[in-house]
Amino acid sequence: MSLTFFNRREFLWRFGGGLGGVAMAHLFGTQGLLADSLAKPNPEFNGGLHHRAKVKRVIQLFMNGGASQCDLFDYKPELIKRSGQKFDPGERVEATTSSPGNLMKSPYEWKQHGASGRWVSSAVPHIAKCVDDLAFLMAMTSKTNVHGPGVYLQNTGFLTPGFPCMGAWISYGLGNLTDNLPTFVVLPDSRGLPYNSKGSFSSGFLPVAHQGTIIKAAAQNPIEDLFPPGSAKFITKKSEADGLALLNKLNREHLAHAQGDSRLDARIASYELAAKMQLSAPDVLNLGGETEATKKMYGLDEKTTEDFGRNCLTARRLLERGVRFVQVWSGTAGAAGNWDNHADISKELGSITSATDKPTAALIKDLKARGMLEDTLVIWTTEFGRMPFSQSSVGRDHNGGTFVSWMAGAGIKGGAAYGESDEWSWKSTKDKAYCYDLHATILHLLGIDHEKLTFRNNGANRRLTDVHGEVIREILT
Amino acid sequence: MIAQNKTKWLLSLLVVLAGLLCGVAQGEISPFAGARAILESKCIECHGGKFERARLNLSTHESLLRGGESGSAIVAGDAKASLLYKKITHADEPGMPYKREELSENEIAQLAKWINTGAVYEQPLTAKVEKIWSLQPIKKSAPPKTKNKSWAKTPIDQFILAKLEEKGMKPSPLADKRTLLRRVTFDLTGLPPTPEEMRDFLTDKSPGAYSKVVDRLLASPRYGERWARHWLDVVHFADSHGHDQDRPRPNAWPYRDYLIRSFNDDKPYARFVEEQIAGDTLFPDDPAGVVALGFIATGPWDESSQMHIVADTVDKKMAQNLDRDDMVAVTMSTFVSSTVHCARCHNHKFDPISQREYYNLQSVFAGVDRVDRPYDLDPKIHATRQALLKKKTALDVNPKDKSLLDASVQSEVAEWEKQIGPPAIAWTILDPTSFKSDGGATLTKQVDGSVLATGTRPESDTYTIMAPMDMKGVTAVRLEVLADKSLPHDGPGRQDNGNITLTEFRLKAAPKGETNSAKTIALQNASADFNQKDWEVGKAIDGDGKTGWGIHPEEGKSHFAFFELKESIGFENGTALTFVLEQQHGSSHTIGRARLSVTSAPLPVRVNSLPENISKIIAIKVAARSADQKIELAGYVLKARLERQLAVLPAPRMVYAGTSDFPPQKNFTPAKIPRPVYLLKRGDITKPEEPAVPGALAFVSDLSSQFSLADPSDEAARRAALAKWIADPRNVLTWRSIVNRVWHYHFGRGLVDTPNDFGEMGSRPTHPELLGWLASTFIESGGSIKGLHKLILTSAVYQQSSGNNVRFAKLDSGNLFLWRMNRTRLDAECLRDAILQITGKLDLTMGGPSVMQFYLEDPTPDRTPTVDYGRFDVDAPVNFRRSIYRYIYRTLPDPFMDTLDCADPSQMTAVRNISVTALQALAMLNDRFVIRQSEHLAARVARGSGNVEIQIRTAYNLTLGRDPNRSELKALKSYAIEHGMANTCRIILNSNEFIFVN
Repeated sequence: MSLTFFNRREFLWRFGGGLGGVAMAHLFGTQGLLADSLAKPNPEFNGGLHHRAKVKRVIQLFMNGGASQCDLFDYKPELIKRSGQKFDPGERVEATTSSPGNLMKSPYEWKQHGASGRWVSSAVPHIAKCVDDLAFLMAMTSKTNVHGPGVYLQNTGFLTPGFPCMGAWISYGLGNLTDNLPTFVVLPDSRGLPYNSKGSFSSGFLPVAHQGTIIKAAAQNPIEDLFPPGSAKFITKKSEADGLALLNKLNREHLAHAQGDSRLDARIASYELAAKMQLSAPDVLNLGGETEATKKMYGLDEKTTEDFGRNCLTARRLLERGVRFVQVWSGTAGAAGNWDNHADISKELGSITSATDKPTAALIKDLKARGMLEDTLVIWTTEFGRMPFSQSSVGRDHNGGTFVSWMAGAGIKGGAAYGESDEWSWKSTKDKAYCYDLHATILHLLGIDHEKLTFRNNGANRRLTDVHGEVIREILT
Repeated sequence: MIAQNKTKWLLSLLVVLAGLLCGVAQGEISPFAGARAILESKCIECHGGKFERARLNLSTHESLLRGGESGSAIVAGDAKASLLYKKITHADEPGMPYKREELSENEIAQLAKWINTGAVYEQPLTAKVEKIWSLQPIKKSAPPKTKNKSWAKTPIDQFILAKLEEKGMKPSPLADKRTLLRRVTFDLTGLPPTPEEMRDFLTDKSPGAYSKVVDRLLASPRYGERWARHWLDVVHFADSHGHDQDRPRPNAWPYRDYLIRSFNDDKPYARFVEEQIAGDTLFPDDPAGVVALGFIATGPWDESSQMHIVADTVDKKMAQNLDRDDMVAVTMSTFVSSTVHCARCHNHKFDPISQREYYNLQSVFAGVDRVDRPYDLDPKIHATRQALLKKKTALDVNPKDKSLLDASVQSEVAEWEKQIGPPAIAWTILDPTSFKSDGGATLTKQVDGSVLATGTRPESDTYTIMAPMDMKGVTAVRLEVLADKSLPHDGPGRQDNGNITLTEFRLKAAPKGETNSAKTIALQNASADFNQKDWEVGKAIDGDGKTGWGIHPEEGKSHFAFFELKESIGFENGTALTFVLEQQHGSSHTIGRARLSVTSAPLPVRVNSLPENISKIIAIKVAARSADQKIELAGYVLKARLERQLAVLPAPRMVYAGTSDFPPQKNFTPAKIPRPVYLLKRGDITKPEEPAVPGALAFVSDLSSQFSLADPSDEAARRAALAKWIADPRNVLTWRSIVNRVWHYHFGRGLVDTPNDFGEMGSRPTHPELLGWLASTFIESGGSIKGLHKLILTSAVYQQSSGNNVRFAKLDSGNLFLWRMNRTRLDAECLRDAILQITGKLDLTMGGPSVMQFYLEDPTPDRTPTVDYGRFDVDAPVNFRRSIYRYIYRTLPDPFMDTLDCADPSQMTAVRNISVTALQALAMLNDRFVIRQSEHLAARVARGSGNVEIQIRTAYNLTLGRDPNRSELKALKSYAIEHGMANTCRIILNSNEFIFVN
């Protein structure tokens, strides 16, 4: 079907994606399906869709497995006092994988930090030094205590698979800042994919162009199919260049007999864009140009911090070159090597915090030093928290009742905290925030009204925030 | 809109007039007449007509009093105190009518008068609501007359042409034969025509040449493979569960093969529908009836929530609710293009579907889960097995059925009792005096003589338990590992999943008071009530500390093992026994609660596998047994017999399907009788309201949405009722839905371009009369999909060219009225299969288990395996199978296919996205599959000739179905000479002409 009636550039990103292309003919035309979402990035709104954007790009650090709020950020004197006693809050206590044990204080020491006096445990000494730049959501709440639905909920706003994740929505809404790199990049833990594997980076029913492009920064082939495989000896630099020219000629001759179909033009353009990406991507992944001091700050000189540090530094480089949304994952699916610390908090949580604490703080400091925090948002999240009582003596079970996320950067009130959990850090009590509120706030900072960014699918105008979501203004400047 | 308002206005005027006339006759207008006119014209559409907003129905006095979400709508006799009055006077916001013009003072006064006089109804109110197009009766209109009398080949064309003429357009010329053959071959088989097929068609100058081609393609087995793939998109099929663990689903494929067979056999559509929802009960003797139920189970399954987390939690109930939601959504989207799933949290916002109806549909599926289900290819064995299984399920559902007292059953029980032999042996429970844990666990003696472990949970442990004994001639010892609420998954082990591993079990004995002289007692013939696969109890006395006894997946219940002594023991003045329980497997596979007993029964010790309750009953004399006891025993005996009968049948095949009968796995247990489903306030599982009853949707007139079910506990009957409701020729949605889907795949766009949504928010049909004509013709044909294809493919509209027309492109840029044929891009499967056929590598083997076109490593049973597409040998023979046989891993999709917009199997895909991106260009250029296939194509053309020109010509004919023109040939030849044929083939495979079908 012809799309000539559309200004191609204008709608390029939404239906073809950040790297050029036009398609999805059936979406157009008959019903004004897109009437609500036809807003486009507006220079008067600093690139926002519906109002002025404070943020142009985003890094999300996702702690896969359920980071323990009561061992990191949620200081509860009562929990310390009653540690070892039976947990009896006066209502039914459910734990997903075990029978509830006794109350258990954190094995870590607690101290107040910064001018804001935020309590942080000794598990994350480097992040503790940044607290005045961070705004904490102290009463995040989930609807589930199970990893799969939990990770989906935090990424897509739905408990079940098949919905687009936040990065895909942002790509769909705002499009790209550069033609040379993908709009939405995912940097998984170098040891493997998180729960739900690639399900959490999916574009769901949005065009696949908005799906997260996976970059394995430490792998031999960081981006799938970026170059021909080494085994294809018959492909040379010259054969490649001549081949693309030949392809262009064949396609243009074909086009002459098939006028009025912009998908054919778009496909020709897609090969030009692919060539641009082949030039840009290796450059962004080459850390050689970074100073020793920078590498050291991210912990690239130490085995423990090297992997996460490389991903954090790569994330910064991607943003610098125009990538809109980068998601950095810590932790794989499975029983170990993540934030799902059922068996032994000090051993398991200690190991993952020592791998991530320094690089995380380095990212904040580095972005700040480079002035990038002026238009960049950093988000630190997880799928749920952990129980204040023990599981099999020194571990903790899943707790969707309360957990902590934090944000830093453009539009964020550093040192702020919003929400509170109960005296044990078991359930959120004051100013609860769900993923909907977090997502609404992030979209708000990007100049998007979360109720207006919609896509019609199987009978419903779908949103990242489902039918919920309030912007959390208390943590905004 | 204006016309509609006018109609409404006229209607209310008529009503008022009627009321007036009535009143005149009686000398006075009744308060009801006045109120009725207002209620029917202003209120009832949303409250009792099309919708039941806020669950308020104004149509009768009773429903008015019952009220809605905010309570009773009126206080009869007191208007001012009535909510209805407060709403219409805007004393209570939001006022009514909602977001419409307020009532006039006169209208308010009339309603007030009516309420004040008791809100009497002389008759129930009726709503005059015009139904949406999709719910109106299907009409077979006569094909319209057209000015152009020569173009139309079928009635379809008359409908299309009439619309074009009305819009001032005309159809495009007939496509040339090459284009036509390529189009119809891809369309029906998902493959390009071979050069031979092209030559045959071009040389066949007979008028029926094209029709013959259509028949040939419809008869090809490739047809079913292509169209089953479309169906798999709609029903979101995959070979893994999805969600966080995303485990393989190795028995999903029989359903895929069922679809291929059904399409190839042109199964009548009604039967096709019925089999997929309730084939097991509607066609019990046909294996297809079970395999088709794969439909119910196609969607993702949340293994963590369903199987691994603690039962009886909110999370578990939520998972079951969402699981049923998926079943409802896929059933109603697929077959009736209805978005019922939008009514989970509230009444449907746009379509007249209440939340109650949604939960009624959920309760249709309240007895089934997604799990492997047995079936047999041999229809005889199939019928036998299904009958036995049905009887077994009936015993589970109605364990107290009075028929168990029937003489025939009771005589079977008596016969059984004769054969079971002597009563069970007696065990004496020991009373431990000392018990210690090497690993630091706290062991505490319980009142029943068992020892419970708490506190520190070491990786490995060894318990030493000492107990005195006075018995003599002890021949065997028994170890019970007991379930306990304090243990993970209720134990009996301390591992997170409740498992144990007893690596070695040892016994020492000494005369009382002389423990130092204790001697090891040799053990033999270990036996247990349950043995984990590869972890049988014999391994606890084999002297190998690396092996042992485990009970997975039967955690959560008590188990026992016993060990015969090689020589009996028992000292004259008492014996001190020392038991050593080594549990050195690691990962805390340690015992949570243990109890020890001894017996002096003669060897060999017979396992008495009878459950305690049954042992107790048979200890009572037959005459003294109560009716309940007789029933209980008979149920046990019958079930045991059924199980024996099932056990001797040949091993069945398995299909992942909807079923109510399966062996429990951890916390995932069958529902025996359908689980109760409640209407949930705002969809919140913690806020159940009234119970739902199985039913369908009221908005399809001519069909009752209420099922009359003889036995509400028979879950299959619920599905059968829904299947019948959908497959009924009077269900206007079903038949419109399927003909529109078929049209969509032929033209790249449906007559309704939202094939899964025929509601208010879906698109309107571009050609409603044609859709009706197709639906009735399809019903008349007995639901023959092949007949429908033939009808559409032989139409002139299908055979026209896809060339552009600048003027028409301005009038109808989306080509909604089909002034030309739509050009389509090959979808991921067509593209991949076409490449394989072109290179000569395509393996046309049909059916069977899905082929893994990736490297798989699956070391841990509870985790997502490694699925690595990069490490897979692209020349492995399985890679040459057609794409429909690919193993589809839900959260780890094939990146190459993904880039080409392959359907996301977590999502019901009625229409595929078609995108064009740089990453797609990179995949087409650099994916190892395309690269290797380019080499294979080069080798293939080189086998035919050494001449580069001929090679290029062959490659072009295989790929594009034509010879290259002079300019193309020149450019290709010079490139081929410099860079070789493999590079050249790679470029041809990347061309727009190959990837698009005109």
